[in-house]
Amino acid sequence: MAREATLVAPAARPLLSRRARELLTGYLYLIPVILALGCTVLFPILKAMHMSLYNHVLIRPQEYGYVGLANYARLLHDETFWLSLWNSFLWVFGSVSFQFLGGFAAALLLHQSFRGRALVRTITLLPWIIPGVVVALIWEFIYQPNYGLLNDILSRTGVMTERVAWLANPGLAMPAVIVTNIWRGMPFFAIMLLAGLQAIPGELYEAARVDGASVFQRFCFITLPMLKPIIVVATATRIVWTFNYADLIFVMTSGGPANATQITSTYTLLQAYSNLDFGYAATLSVALLLIMLVFTVFYLRITRGLEGVA
Amino acid sequence: MNEHRILSRRVLLKTMAAAGAITAAQLKWWEEPLLRPRRAWGAAPVRFQFSVPEPKRNALVDSLVQRFNQIQNDFEVKVEFVPQAQARQKLITSVAAGSPPDCCQIWDNWVGEFEGMGALEDLTTKAKDWKHYKDVLPLAWQTVTVKNKIASLPWVVTNDALYYRTDRLKEYGIAPPKDDWGFDQFLAFTKAFTKTDKNQYGFGMRGQGTWAVLYATEFMYANGAQVLKDGKVVINSREAAEALDWYLDLFRKHKVCPPSVPTDGWRGIVEGFGRGVTNTYIHNSGSAEEQKGFVGEQNFSTVPLPLGPAKKRNSFYFSETLTAFNKGKSREGAWRFMAWLMEDEPNLMYTKGLGLLPSRKTLFERPEFMQDPAYRGFIKSFPFSIVSPYLAYAGWGGKIDSEGVPLFQQALVGKLSSKEFLDKFAEVLTKNMS
Repeated sequence: MAREATLVAPAARPLLSRRARELLTGYLYLIPVILALGCTVLFPILKAMHMSLYNHVLIRPQEYGYVGLANYARLLHDETFWLSLWNSFLWVFGSVSFQFLGGFAAALLLHQSFRGRALVRTITLLPWIIPGVVVALIWEFIYQPNYGLLNDILSRTGVMTERVAWLANPGLAMPAVIVTNIWRGMPFFAIMLLAGLQAIPGELYEAARVDGASVFQRFCFITLPMLKPIIVVATATRIVWTFNYADLIFVMTSGGPANATQITSTYTLLQAYSNLDFGYAATLSVALLLIMLVFTVFYLRITRGLEGVA
Repeated sequence: MNEHRILSRRVLLKTMAAAGAITAAQLKWWEEPLLRPRRAWGAAPVRFQFSVPEPKRNALVDSLVQRFNQIQNDFEVKVEFVPQAQARQKLITSVAAGSPPDCCQIWDNWVGEFEGMGALEDLTTKAKDWKHYKDVLPLAWQTVTVKNKIASLPWVVTNDALYYRTDRLKEYGIAPPKDDWGFDQFLAFTKAFTKTDKNQYGFGMRGQGTWAVLYATEFMYANGAQVLKDGKVVINSREAAEALDWYLDLFRKHKVCPPSVPTDGWRGIVEGFGRGVTNTYIHNSGSAEEQKGFVGEQNFSTVPLPLGPAKKRNSFYFSETLTAFNKGKSREGAWRFMAWLMEDEPNLMYTKGLGLLPSRKTLFERPEFMQDPAYRGFIKSFPFSIVSPYLAYAGWGGKIDSEGVPLFQQALVGKLSSKEFLDKFAEVLTKNMS
């Protein structure tokens, strides 16, 4: 009697190797993120670039059409754009440098232990928590020349005899809005740097103290180097934010008086929502994007390696 | 447990009764209470966009809309409130997207822009067949007529005059201004009203917003200047520059204005007067009711703007319009609602509530307008009022604000001379004559 033999069929060879499948699965997981970023970041950028090549003034639909680089040529000859770029530089430099110095000082103070520290920390955060528009309204009232708080205090204390138009004087308007932005942005640096300070091991300070290092030396050779990575990231982030931050100025001065506080982001808003010139507003946005890209590359290059020190 | 439930119910009923009483009190100005049952099923929706310059108007417009919805069964108006600062762009974007409201309330200086976009419903035939056509002031029809077509209904009208404090006039022993006063008397008047030691200024000049340029233009017209002549922009004439110099010197040289002028927009000048910082300011009648609340009805009055060296003067006349869109889904409903808002009762409710003047002669001539000192200056200014010359071209609307005002501010703070400002401004206008 013949015996039946069952042969095991050889396993089918998978279409893709194990490594390829793992790689593909990884990419599949990335699809939602790619889609989300594509829709919310990439598409608007490409759309803005596309719009910048068109004459797209909403109140003149008849004139809509492709104009090539005409909007960019207009930008190069636009005096207000160059003025707004210079104002943006003053705005960013003035705001971020003093925010950093003030925030650093606050972080060093808050790092000390004292009674009520938690309460003081919370209060320090307040300007950052309040919405930008509300901050602008509060400071607009403070600066109001006729019945504002600042002029009232200065005149009651005899510091000044004539009322000062803080926001209506072209020479004072920019410093005034910068002071407001410093007040608003200081807590950001304070909190970031405080977190960094708390991460520095106490042994380092103890060892330095045993070696006879002074307070200043400990600050220069331990605190600063250990905080450098945070300083680099926080400053870069803040510079980009401030450059694009239009709320304060838009509410307080609308870019005036006489364009004295007109920064590129408020100028872009003006073109888009007052002139309804979306083509030119898109051109300004693309220019802003390029300026920020160049700045970021330059900044990261000069601070290369610092972010990895800690 | 039961007792607690009964008490809660009582509290609930009392609360409801109180809420009803408060609501009824709010509606007491309405002659006929809201009693009629709601409209029939199937009423066609009508979208109405209302731009809100101040919250007071919301309740008023809501009441008007409710009222319209109750007196007829064919249409149901749904009102969309939009802050005034965003109203223009919201409308333009909705037109561009092909989904405008059926009708809206806008100022006449926007009408040209919408007409230029080909978005407006031509109301010429309907308006001419309308029963109140001849009752509407001819100047009011002019403000809404674009290229010989009636583009809107002039809901309310107003012009510019000078508000001044009558109580302080007596306090400082200043003679009240006469209707035919001139530039020199205006300067002397504002100087006498300036008491810097008391933080009081003689004139609340406007430095921000489109009307900053319009008020200055009224003084230029008083010196014989014009914006357009034979189809050319001539606002940079010698007469215009001289008058502008004189006007700006009120702030620059004579210091009769508060230091906040370059950033003072509409709210700035109205509040400046209301808080007692300024003793005069130029505005339309739209802030009269507000000032009655701020400084008291008996403490202020209005007077026409002064005559210039050329013995001329103008007050720019404009209207708040009711405008319908040709892409609206309920064009008949829009017309019925707009025409109803022009009827005696709703029109009077709206105008009296806000300090604006009705565009219909029979309403305008009623004693509540003609005999109120707050409106005196405006009514006296009607004989020499003209439609704003800046309505001539749709392209000028947004440009005055975005380019004209920053230039004006530069002249105000001395960065540009009056002539330099006017030359640059004339360039802006010439470029946008479309």
